[in-house]
Amino acid sequence: MPIRFNDVFYTYQANSPFKSEALKGVSLEIKDGSFTCVVGHTGSGKSTLVQQLNGLLIPTSGSVEVNGFTVQKRHKSLRNLHNLRKEVGIVFQFARYQLFEETIEEDVAFGPMNFGVKKEEALEIAHKCLKTVGIDESLFKRSPFEVSGGQRRRVAIAGILALEPKILVLDEPTAGLDPKGAREILKLFKELNEKGTTIILVTHDINIVYEFADDVVVMNEGKIELHCSPEQLFKEDVEKYSLETPLIQKAVNKCLEKGLKINPAKIRNVHDLAVEIARAKK
Amino acid sequence: MNAVLGSYVNHDTFIHRMDPRNKFFCLIVLMVAVFISYPTFEMTFIVGGALATLIISLLLIAKVRILDVFKSLRVLWFFILLLMIINVFMPPVGAENIAFSMGKVNVYWEAIFQSLKIILRLVLMIMLTTLLTATTKPLDLTYALEWYMAPLKVIRFPVHEIAMTISIALRFIPTLLDETDRIMKAQSSRGVDFKHGKISSRLKAIVSLIIPLFISSFQRSEELADSMEARGYDPKAKRTRYRVLRFSFADLIGFILCGAVIAATIVISVYKWTYVTPHFVPWWILSLMLVFLYMLLTALITAVVRRHRK
Repeated sequence: MPIRFNDVFYTYQANSPFKSEALKGVSLEIKDGSFTCVVGHTGSGKSTLVQQLNGLLIPTSGSVEVNGFTVQKRHKSLRNLHNLRKEVGIVFQFARYQLFEETIEEDVAFGPMNFGVKKEEALEIAHKCLKTVGIDESLFKRSPFEVSGGQRRRVAIAGILALEPKILVLDEPTAGLDPKGAREILKLFKELNEKGTTIILVTHDINIVYEFADDVVVMNEGKIELHCSPEQLFKEDVEKYSLETPLIQKAVNKCLEKGLKINPAKIRNVHDLAVEIARAKK
Repeated sequence: MNAVLGSYVNHDTFIHRMDPRNKFFCLIVLMVAVFISYPTFEMTFIVGGALATLIISLLLIAKVRILDVFKSLRVLWFFILLLMIINVFMPPVGAENIAFSMGKVNVYWEAIFQSLKIILRLVLMIMLTTLLTATTKPLDLTYALEWYMAPLKVIRFPVHEIAMTISIALRFIPTLLDETDRIMKAQSSRGVDFKHGKISSRLKAIVSLIIPLFISSFQRSEELADSMEARGYDPKAKRTRYRVLRFSFADLIGFILCGAVIAATIVISVYKWTYVTPHFVPWWILSLMLVFLYMLLTALITAVVRRHRK
């Protein structure tokens, strides 16, 4: 079942002098099993948008439908938020702040245990998830506060993966990771996506969109400016949505200018570009 | 975020422009006027009503929303109810006018008036504090506090350090609230239920909130200390202010107004004092005199110190 936003408005601190409208009538459909990127400026409502998905924020008006749940004011689904949160896992931008247990493995096992999984089983899931995010086994018994910032972020991501959500929402997952680490994590998300998980990724980084997304949502001032495939987006001049041109696209354009006969449609990343250039040179 | 006692709202009104030191002083003077005991219940309610009118019009001038004030009163409902019950069952000494009887218990008019009086005082007090906190930036309040504590420097009391600590603490309240919100959301996404569940699981829920909060606070304070030191912060150094506090025309008006109010209330409470409670007047006057004297002394010391520095 796709995720559907029906004319969603959200106002922070409504009825107070500090109120601010974050979403102004968002209607959107996100296909099952897609890899959707949400891009836009700071303050465009990206984070607010994704927090509606598991009922952390309830729309001021309008509704959100997720896998048979309806997130709407005074709706009976709200009594069942716990189950919704098992379906939709959100990894926050400052995910490292969610760690609190004495050891890394226990911290990752904490999530599944909240949903009634036995401790031994939860630890097993934890080990599996920690390995997938690239945490070495020697660190499992260490305190999450002893490891580096990047590793903490991975542990936090593992903590959400351990819930085995059908929909995985990631708010700036690569912030604070080194480029190599960031690529590894993104590849991991792509793998999960290929296994059927719907991925919704909030980001500033247009290069990630170019390489990984099947669907792009461009937000501006609480409204959806554009919802299309990346091919369509990058056919136009993206700078009019105040987005940057992806580095790969710049390189492709330069190559075409110099008369290399490469096929832009085949190029999603540096590797593809290298292969295409090699082919064109022959 | 719920506004407790009305957090600062930015407007440009007469009351916002007043010097925080003077505002602080006026608040205390008006508080005294509210809490002075008046000879009879009738007098209490008449003066109380007059004060309420004054304070509400001040709130209106300052563009504070009266509804918000009553919202912050919600916390007091239980207290007010308890007060009513205690007063009804333990009537004040000398109560003789029975309002009505419930079985064997007599409810006296005096008891009812007594509780109404206390409620009136509480409401007025909350309105006054809201008036202050809604129109004064917390930082300005700390400056005012620092100024009032200035004479304590003579006995080597670390006035500046304390004012600094308070202002940093105030500065970080909203940050901490944001952080709490953020952590609660992250943990809710991991299936933590902060509102329902058994006591043991709720304790666990709170632990999952408190520990990250502590860790990030410690981290933040370390970073802040480092960045202050990097910019050469020295608590002992002589420093100037970005915003210099000045006693303006608005302050003069406020000062005179409060003086008139306190004078009027003192006159009322002194009137008839011989045959009501002969011992209360000297105490209030004395403390008032002390406050004025202290103000004067502080101003004097500050002036002298400033001249000396030049």
